Amino acid sequence: MATITVESLCKRFGDVVAVDGVGFEIGRGEMFGLLGPNGAGKTTTIGILCGLVRPDSGTVCLDGKSDPMRPDVRASLGVVPQSLALYDELTAQENLEFFGRINGLAGRRLRDRVAACLDLAGLMQRRKDRVATFSGGMKRRLNLVCSLLHEPAILLLDEPTVGVDPQSRNLIFDTIEKLRSDGRTILYTTHYMEEAERLCDRVAILDHGKMLVLDTVANLIAKHGGASHIEIGLDEAPQDPAGLTAKLGAGELGIEGNMIRFQTMEPAQALATLNQCGVRYKTLKVDTANLEDVFLNLTGRRLRD
Amino acid sequence: MAKLLALAVKDLRVLMASKGNLFWVFGFPLLFALLFGAVYAGAGKGPSGMKLAVVDEDKSEFSQLYVTHLESEEALKVTRLDREQALTQVRKGQIAAAVVIRPGFGDGFSGFSDANNPKLQIASDPGQKMQGAYLEGLLAKAQFEVMAKRFRDRKWMRGQMDTWRGQIKRAGGLPGADANVYLRFFDSLDNFLTDVNDRTYKGGLGNGILNVAKLDVQREYDGPRTPFQITFPQAILWAILGCVATFAISIVRERTTGTFQRLRVGPISQVDILAGKGLACFLTCAMVIVLLVMVGKLVFKVPIGSPAMFLLGAVCTCLCFVGLMMLVSTLGKTEQSVVGAGWAVLMVLAMFGGAMMPLAFMPPWMRDISHVSPIK
Repeated sequence: MATITVESLCKRFGDVVAVDGVGFEIGRGEMFGLLGPNGAGKTTTIGILCGLVRPDSGTVCLDGKSDPMRPDVRASLGVVPQSLALYDELTAQENLEFFGRINGLAGRRLRDRVAACLDLAGLMQRRKDRVATFSGGMKRRLNLVCSLLHEPAILLLDEPTVGVDPQSRNLIFDTIEKLRSDGRTILYTTHYMEEAERLCDRVAILDHGKMLVLDTVANLIAKHGGASHIEIGLDEAPQDPAGLTAKLGAGELGIEGNMIRFQTMEPAQALATLNQCGVRYKTLKVDTANLEDVFLNLTGRRLRD
Repeated sequence: MAKLLALAVKDLRVLMASKGNLFWVFGFPLLFALLFGAVYAGAGKGPSGMKLAVVDEDKSEFSQLYVTHLESEEALKVTRLDREQALTQVRKGQIAAAVVIRPGFGDGFSGFSDANNPKLQIASDPGQKMQGAYLEGLLAKAQFEVMAKRFRDRKWMRGQMDTWRGQIKRAGGLPGADANVYLRFFDSLDNFLTDVNDRTYKGGLGNGILNVAKLDVQREYDGPRTPFQITFPQAILWAILGCVATFAISIVRERTTGTFQRLRVGPISQVDILAGKGLACFLTCAMVIVLLVMVGKLVFKVPIGSPAMFLLGAVCTCLCFVGLMMLVSTLGKTEQSVVGAGWAVLMVLAMFGGAMMPLAFMPPWMRDISHVSPIK
């Protein structure tokens, strides 16, 4: 059964069509990625899902309940906003206690959850410090765990790693992977393809408010990613370039001194063939297709253009 | 209700976390009440020490006596100058007024009574009518007191008798019968002054013709007994205006920093969020009122009247200003615009409500408009 169901969502701001007929279903415990460049409609979609934006048309169903404009429907929701939304004047613990109370926690459960979230964010030692004194990464981690206090069944993460240092980014990824393993349903928006590839079970690619494709990462790359690029540095120049080309099945073999470059849809098969032919190589570089290539092939543009 | 309280407590914590906020909401109004209360207390004893220039163009014995008497007056700070200097200083506002003693001032009674050619001239700011009238009173008082000393001088009085008898004989304007009555009166007075002994004469005149005894009567007065009775309510008002501005800005700040959006995606309605903000503002206003009333009542004996009515008034005031805070918070999308627009609105309301200028000094049309100001 789907935990999140979105059907034919449309939203227009004046002349700008932000979301145009977007629809998808996310199963329980699934991690779903919304990938697209800035202005693709990701944040508007998240806004509609969490009741901040009323759609012009279409329906949203969260955990069996429709109309997220109602506070009770949002009770099962945890939203990590794109921008930091914390009270700088308060300590980390005070922020967590406040958001915990807003989500209906109190007493011992509140204390336990605050402690757990501080631990999860790696901020236990700094819990009594004001947020204003935190680094950007620490604020991001706190921003994330503020949405986890009430252990929501559904998490909406809107580009949670924007402007974060590598160490904090890895900590956030670890946290998200743990949440996924705990069985939470997660909708993750990003314009970093590496994040989507690493974290998401399925990905929908948005552009100009429309959903271009929706599938698993592997399927998207297989269907739309194109060939892998292989670059090999040999001990010596190949004796029979034409024969090698025929055996590899590559369309075009680029030979430049001791270097061979070619594209193939089956990189593993091509490398096995080279070994069988007795080719000895000093260096090997394989660039497999990724979601960036998928987007490029679908739209003719790069994600960060 | 728990969520509402959580919102209010959070806002109070944010308020308390900033020393600047604390000062403007709690410290400044208290200082305002104390400082201006102390200033008004010092100023409430009347216009003591009015700066006065005296120009003695008569230079008679009597005029010297008069100037000396003015110099001994506590309510005046007298400087002797020439006419030009004195008038220049009045024009520049360096002194409150100037008194010119014209030649002939010391020539007996005629020096006072010549309406066509007054021997005392006063130059003062025409806008300061009360001050001018106060000065005229002081001058008249000094004149009578100096005259009283003259009356005790029998030699001088007899000289006056001679002068007046000579004037009556020379003038010839009076009917003969009336002239004889005056002459007989002055002859009798002259005889009296010759025959009476000093003790009887001076004792009969007393110490001065304007001696006034002060009776110890406690005045029945409904108005303020102490300046703090004015400055503490004013301080409460300014503190509440500070609260309104602070919380209106905090609402906008929640919007600009994204925390408002975070609250909106939580299981809480927008009405609850605003109600929580309003509750925090209400509690802060109430705390300010309690603080200032406690200090005013316990330290400066400021009366509060009926406690029940005061409580009702305080609650109504807090509710009214919470509403005003909500309105002000909608006047702009950034903190800067709300600060500017908010204070503009509050200042106009304060102006028309009598917080800056007493309503009694306002023209009637402003007093009519003042009814719509919640500050009134």
